[in-house]
Amino acid sequence: MDRIDMHRLKQGEVNLGTSIMAVQFDGGVVIGADSRTTTGSYIANRVTDKLTFLHDRIYCCRSGSAADTQAIADFGHYYLQMQAQVLGSAPSVLTAAAIMEKMCYQNKDQLSAGIIVAGWDEKAGPSVYNIPLGGGLFRQPWAIGGSGSTYVYGYCDATYQEGWGKDETVNFVKNTLALAMSRDGSSGGCIRMCVITKDGVERKFIPGDQLPRFWEGKEILGEATQKPPAAISAVSDVAPMAVEV
Amino acid sequence: MAAAAVYSNPGFDFSNLTRNNFLAEKGIPLPKATSTGTTIVGCIFEDGIILGADTRATEGPIVADKNCEKIHYITESIRCCGAGTAADTEFVTNLISSNMELHGLTHGRKPRVVTAMTMLKQYLFRYQGHVGAALVLGGVDSTGPNLFTIAPHGSTDKLPYVTMGSGSLAAMAVFESYWRPNMSRADALQLVKDAISAGIFNDLGSGSNVDACIITANHTEMLRNVEMPNERVQKERSYVFRKGTTAWKKEDIKKLVLSEEVTPISGEAMDTD
Amino acid sequence: MPDMVTLPYSAPSGKPQQRQFNPYSENGGTILAISGADFSVIAGDTRQSEGYSIQTRYAPKVFRLTDNAVLAVNGFAADGNMFVKQVRQRLEWYRHAHAKDMPLRAIARLIQTMLYARRFFPYYVYNILGGIEEDGSGAVYSFDPVGSYERESCRAAGAAQSLVQPFLDNQIYFKNQVALPGRPHPQHLPLTTVIELVIDSFTSATERHIEVGDGLEMFIVLAKGSPLHGLENFDGVQEMTVTNDGERIFVLRRNLKRD
Repeated sequence: MDRIDMHRLKQGEVNLGTSIMAVQFDGGVVIGADSRTTTGSYIANRVTDKLTFLHDRIYCCRSGSAADTQAIADFGHYYLQMQAQVLGSAPSVLTAAAIMEKMCYQNKDQLSAGIIVAGWDEKAGPSVYNIPLGGGLFRQPWAIGGSGSTYVYGYCDATYQEGWGKDETVNFVKNTLALAMSRDGSSGGCIRMCVITKDGVERKFIPGDQLPRFWEGKEILGEATQKPPAAISAVSDVAPMAVEV
Repeated sequence: MAAAAVYSNPGFDFSNLTRNNFLAEKGIPLPKATSTGTTIVGCIFEDGIILGADTRATEGPIVADKNCEKIHYITESIRCCGAGTAADTEFVTNLISSNMELHGLTHGRKPRVVTAMTMLKQYLFRYQGHVGAALVLGGVDSTGPNLFTIAPHGSTDKLPYVTMGSGSLAAMAVFESYWRPNMSRADALQLVKDAISAGIFNDLGSGSNVDACIITANHTEMLRNVEMPNERVQKERSYVFRKGTTAWKKEDIKKLVLSEEVTPISGEAMDTD
Repeated sequence: MPDMVTLPYSAPSGKPQQRQFNPYSENGGTILAISGADFSVIAGDTRQSEGYSIQTRYAPKVFRLTDNAVLAVNGFAADGNMFVKQVRQRLEWYRHAHAKDMPLRAIARLIQTMLYARRFFPYYVYNILGGIEEDGSGAVYSFDPVGSYERESCRAAGAAQSLVQPFLDNQIYFKNQVALPGRPHPQHLPLTTVIELVIDSFTSATERHIEVGDGLEMFIVLAKGSPLHGLENFDGVQEMTVTNDGERIFVLRRNLKRD
């Protein structure tokens, strides 16, 4: 079988060229995403919410085609509502992740969707499930996804520690996403995060001008010429810009 | 094998797609659909939504219609601007308008903007982008003002100001510079006019006039041709042809008025009262 | 539109992919020339575009070569400008060698050889040359990109050629118009009529073609000793004549719609 072809995104399709993330901690999970949606090189939405509600304590992070992932999330939301009504209790994160995975796997030849499902339930407590392109369901203590994630695997491996509390986890997510967004051209904007615990869902928003900053490089070759450029002398004989009658 | 299908499924039929691709490869391209290479916009203001559109429809580089209407009716307080394939935007908005009317009748209350948005996105997603409609949907309902964009593949965005079509970049540049929260009706209308004008003058796919639609909680005002900055100029010469200019080969005049006499043969005359 | 890589693990398609640099582009616009008994009119719009964007609203496509020759170029703007530059250089060399301007029919032949020299990497340009012949008659020569040419009395080229040429055929050559018995159609039209037809051609093309608009620039070349023929009645006519050899050149500019 052919490998999955990501260039198959249909002409002009709206894209979540993304950095997404979810991390488990003792009392819950922290999920986060950048806010950029692109069509080619145009930013169709700079304040996108890629953290999508599935059930009271279960959210997903979407990456890939905006249309595909919205359709999947909408169906997941509908399914879990039905499930909750039938069972009379809140669905588990595994149930949510499993139904999302099923859709991704069974329609793999028509979809481009990479999804992270995360949340809290009575049975397992906090949990994070990764559903990569084409399906598959993997429980992980932390998961990253989208085009920006490739830049920060090393950072996550080097930084993540078990036993963190809420604040440390939030900072980890915030820093990881800021690093991914600074390197990946199709990620950017602001950071949206959710802290999901037994007690509820707390949203966090980091505006684009308040992102954590790291080393941003410095000029080496141009250092000697750090003086303001000479004023450009006015050009006198330019062609007329307006056509006179 | 099953017998030749007597019953056909409702909706679109994709079976000719392979044939058409084959023909296109052989150098017989598909007929071109009228596309509304367009500027459409929408923005939220202090007491509602303003939608805007240009009025040019194109077929390739040729202007097919100089004053078409791109703001479509969904319900009294929900309207939708369409860009992309003209036939698709026309059909999809008509269909959803019809379903919204039925939805309102069934449930005995005014359907919401999200309802129209969901219907549209599910329809467009089902056709995987083959229905080429890029929409700006706006309206006021029980939850307040709502504004969405819907892309041809079925993805949606909810934003306070939106643009779509080939002139969307020119129009968005205006919004990004001058849009403010809680603008007054007059300021917002001027902003929409400026955004559409940016499309009209800087994007070749957009042109002619500005249409706008102001939707508030209890009133919808359609401002057709609210700005007309591109009126046709007076021609230098008159092009009236002298009678008899066109040559003809044969003259044949037929009498179209026929008279007929009816003679009743038997029975009573039919009761026509 | 180039597709930005979105998610990781994108795989190569497996098939070999051919990539090629395309040195040409198409910059829209339309040019037009009509000749009369003792004058010639050469015109073009001033919009330069690529795709759906306007690059500039004022880029001349019509150029004065000598006092009796005007060249209009349309197609790929970079090639057009370069071609005009080289034709002008060849005309200057001719002036230095022969102490006179090159005759119009010779310029036409020169253009043919210059275009054909690039037979396998052509200038992507349609040329229309207008001016006055040595016998004092108005003339128009039209060229294809590789040098095939003919003398005509009217020609439109460029984006709106298919809109303008049929109009000209009808109004200049009186195609599909039956003349009154005993009153044949005229061989040549008066200058004022021609100028009006040119203006109407461009305002109409602007209405229905998205790549035409912004401005109209029209050159009028009058034969030696010819009267102004009513040219003085048009607003904003500017004389461009350089020598005192007799032929005179004028330029007439009009605004066109900018949408």
